[in-house]
Amino acid sequence: MTDLSVTPRDTKPPLGGWLPGIRLTETQAAVLNAAADELIPGGDGFPPPSEVDVISFIGRYVTPSGLEPRWFPFLGEDDFRARLDGLGQEFADATPVQRVTVLEGLERDEQEFFTRLRDVVYHAYYSRPEVIRAINRLPAGRDYRNSPQPYGYSDVMDDWDDELLSRVRGTYIRTEEVRRVAIPADLPMCSARQAREAGEN
Amino acid sequence: MAAYTETDVLVIGAGAGGGAVSKRLSDAGIKVVCLEQGDWVHAMDHPHMYDGWELERKRSWSFEPNVRKFPEDYPVTGNTTPYTFTGVGGSTLHYAAAWPRFKPVDFRKGTEHGVEGTIDWPISYEELEPFYAINDAEIGVARRTGDPGNPARPEGWGPASRGGKVGHKMGSGFDKLGWHWWPADNAILTRTKDNRLACNDCGFCLAGCPRHSIASTDVSYWPAALRNGVDLRVNARVEQINAKNGRATGATYIDRVTGQRHEVRAGIVVVAANSIGTPRLLLMSAQQGHPDGLANSNGLVGTHLMYHSWSFVDFWFDEPLEGFKGPEPAVLYSQEFYDSDPSRGFVNGFSLQVGTSLGAATSALGTNTGNLAPWGAGHRSFFNEHFGRHALIYVQGEDLPVRTNRVTLDPDVKDSSGLPAPHVHYELHENDRRLVEWGQQRAREAADAAGGVIDTTTSGIGGIDGPPPGWHIMGTCRMGNTPEDSVTNKWNQTWDVPNLFITDASSLTTGAAVNPTSTLQAVAVRAAEYIKRRHRDIASQTTTPSNADAPAL
Repeated sequence: MTDLSVTPRDTKPPLGGWLPGIRLTETQAAVLNAAADELIPGGDGFPPPSEVDVISFIGRYVTPSGLEPRWFPFLGEDDFRARLDGLGQEFADATPVQRVTVLEGLERDEQEFFTRLRDVVYHAYYSRPEVIRAINRLPAGRDYRNSPQPYGYSDVMDDWDDELLSRVRGTYIRTEEVRRVAIPADLPMCSARQAREAGEN
Repeated sequence: MAAYTETDVLVIGAGAGGGAVSKRLSDAGIKVVCLEQGDWVHAMDHPHMYDGWELERKRSWSFEPNVRKFPEDYPVTGNTTPYTFTGVGGSTLHYAAAWPRFKPVDFRKGTEHGVEGTIDWPISYEELEPFYAINDAEIGVARRTGDPGNPARPEGWGPASRGGKVGHKMGSGFDKLGWHWWPADNAILTRTKDNRLACNDCGFCLAGCPRHSIASTDVSYWPAALRNGVDLRVNARVEQINAKNGRATGATYIDRVTGQRHEVRAGIVVVAANSIGTPRLLLMSAQQGHPDGLANSNGLVGTHLMYHSWSFVDFWFDEPLEGFKGPEPAVLYSQEFYDSDPSRGFVNGFSLQVGTSLGAATSALGTNTGNLAPWGAGHRSFFNEHFGRHALIYVQGEDLPVRTNRVTLDPDVKDSSGLPAPHVHYELHENDRRLVEWGQQRAREAADAAGGVIDTTTSGIGGIDGPPPGWHIMGTCRMGNTPEDSVTNKWNQTWDVPNLFITDASSLTTGAAVNPTSTLQAVAVRAAEYIKRRHRDIASQTTTPSNADAPAL
């Protein structure tokens, strides 16, 4: 019987990530939420990441244990859990200032892992429906939607200004008008044409 | 060896060139087998409807085969990773679908300057124009006619894609400067055609299109080719083109599913495996009588690789531009600086193309040039000031065809079938560096003329990551004037093997300063028309005729 609840774990990265996504322990989840909240603090009408479930998104894109993390965001389950465990409840319970200090150290000393963590948190956060609604309150984001399809943006798309286009001027060189141009004398490599003319080749 | 198949024409590669050739030949009742090492991409395999759509751009839809790492991809070694896609449709599956034409001057760059390996094309714009028109009609181009900077073009299948706020803003900037500009032609439907839906301005173009609005070859040419009876074999990785007594006899391929080898025998062989894959395959096909590879007696196979020279310049403005809407890559273009003016310190010219942006995550992660929203306390203000206020101007320069920019075989790295990986070496010529530096300044002038720039960053010379990104891979088996300066004659017929043709971007003699797919496909249609009308002549040829002696259409 086919198990429809899981994603085939073959040789391609599954679109949408792996199902089921990895399930973090309570402490691991608290640590990841705490880190995400410092990376993208809430405010100005935007919720903190811990309130919009970035964890389930990230869980789908962490490569499950037993598979090589070959694809973006290049996070493997075993290593990812170990790093969250390394930060531990102490990080989750720390003040924002203390957490930022820890993250700055991570950014400085373990740049690769920090970059991967930051990137996946950014991707997760800006995919959440609650965040899209916050973006919709920005003047430049009022029409922004969760995904490009199925709706697209044809209903809210401006067309060309015919009056502006009527003023365009331009020209081109016709085939019969093509003439030799002078080659800048200081180009460091001589041209094939010059070489031929000099009888070198 | 399993039993072989016989056909009139064998086409290798089901991308832009192979699809166009297969369809046109089969229109005339010619029996065609096409071998494609990838598979079909299903409409639901595009990421446009998922919450992780922006993330998938870096993952399953990465431009780079070395990052994507699909089993059908082959690794590419060397100092750049070209952007290719493997499957029915080839690299059109993730292309921009910008659809400019080369200009007449582009076919006479040898006459104009001849710097480095530059030669004239053996054909003119006027000779190619009817095939541009045929191809445009086949794929359904969106166009606004009347561009005074180019020869007249026929009406499109639909009107030009809408420009949105970005188009109006940047068009106004070019207008103030008095510079040429025009809405971009795109191979993106603005009117429904066959079973393909018109674009709904979703703003996510470089990962194919689930509506089939973008004319990737799997949806533009292949449905008709299959109706015509073309035998398209997927997961069929060609190991070698076979030859005997100076003529191609067909090819041997590996079925990637079963691992078995098969042979297809054909009267004519057409290679269209992209400008990396085609020279790779010809070099892999070294055999008796062709010790340095097929069609390579002059050593030119793989040489004169061109990528275009690039710089991306991101601009953010003090007003909403909503660049997440509308066709992403090419809203409009300016060809004010297209023609050579040596007083600038370089030959050749460039297009300034205006592009848009993706969504919120891409905005936070630096858009096109790594202008990253800081984490922590400064994140919110940066994001709120940058999101939806962006326009991209990219400098797209014509790079010189440098002979040492080339594709060779890597002796140490193999693909999943055990075949050698291609090795690519590419460096910008000093001429191209100067061109891009100068172009960056013009991009800034255009943005300043538009007004209200609050931030800008650039990728520097050579695209996003330092080395030039190989979106446009051209020239490695170029057509030319003599067996000494090229790999094929003016009908895409290899000088060494008269019944072996090359119909992808590797046959482009120069790269111009515009996206190449429109031209490579027009050239492929022209070559197919020649094969269609002249296959009896080709069948009797023991040597490839010179351009002067070759039969006319």
